[in-house]
Amino acid sequence: MSPRVRVLLFALAVLCLAPAFAHVALHLPRFGAHPLPYGDAINAAGTRERHVTNMVSAVNFDYRGFDTLGEEFMLLGAVTGTATLLRGTRGERKEVPQQVPGRPVRARSDAVVLVARLMGTTTVLFGVYVALHAMTTPGGGFQGGVIVSSGLLLVFLAEGYRGWRRAMRSEILDACEGSGATLYALCGFASMLAGLPFLQNILPLGKVKDLFAGGLMLVENAGVAFAVAGGFAVLFLEFLEETRVEADGDDEEEKEA
Amino acid sequence: MSVLIPLLFLLVAVTGTGVALSRVPRRQVMAMAANGMALALLFMALQAPDVAFAEIAVGTAALPLLFLVVLASVRADKAAKAEDGAAAGDPP
Repeated sequence: MSPRVRVLLFALAVLCLAPAFAHVALHLPRFGAHPLPYGDAINAAGTRERHVTNMVSAVNFDYRGFDTLGEEFMLLGAVTGTATLLRGTRGERKEVPQQVPGRPVRARSDAVVLVARLMGTTTVLFGVYVALHAMTTPGGGFQGGVIVSSGLLLVFLAEGYRGWRRAMRSEILDACEGSGATLYALCGFASMLAGLPFLQNILPLGKVKDLFAGGLMLVENAGVAFAVAGGFAVLFLEFLEETRVEADGDDEEEKEA
Repeated sequence: MSVLIPLLFLLVAVTGTGVALSRVPRRQVMAMAANGMALALLFMALQAPDVAFAEIAVGTAALPLLFLVVLASVRADKAAKAEDGAAAGDPP
């Protein structure tokens, strides 16, 4: 398609869509206005009913806890699929792969190493903090888990691939991912064992503004934190491994074919 | 506050345009990370810190890394193919 035809097509599409777009844009609610009553209702009743001050966590883990279960297993499915595809011929190798032959190793500056070392540990700690304080302040298992895994990336920046790979055991990360998701599901079944609906809170709710308020939500939050931190770390590991290998398995297959 | 939010919207629009206009993949990844950062600031200003946390970690660290790794992998693959071609005497 030549650029001229493309521009013509674009102009045509704009002509067709502009009236509809203008109609919608002119009838949008005012900026910041939220006509739906759900958020206000949660804000009004959440602290009294669930003893937590972060309503996002209350919605995620209690009011709509079942949705989060779905998301948790979506993440598990995505990570499992990616790991299966990328590991493919490589398998679960234990030994640390060697440097790719022919690729120059650029020395990192001391400043990068120092900053990444300092920030890496601090970021992991901050992630744990965010995950722990899910019920009281903004953040939660997902956010904390992602922050922890990005802290692990800083460790990669500081230590280089070999050092990083030595610290990252893929079987531990796999276990984190799987057991986190399982823990979440088990919380639901625990409620059912107690004769209550799935994911109904069965633990004491605790005091408002206390770190350990929220009962079952705390366990679910821990499950999400482990699953997300482990899942993202598995993704990083598998992707980074792709740049490393000279793909012996692939080569053999090509020779056979 | 009334100045901050329009400014942040403008920042998001500018960085988003930057993503669309960069033609070199590696630069596009960096532009995308900048856009993620702008979005995170906007979420923060709109009082959605939960989303801002997730956006910072996923949009500016995890996603760009995965893209960079894919680009590096593609480049390594291309180099290996070119080497094989040269060794076999084929024109690449």
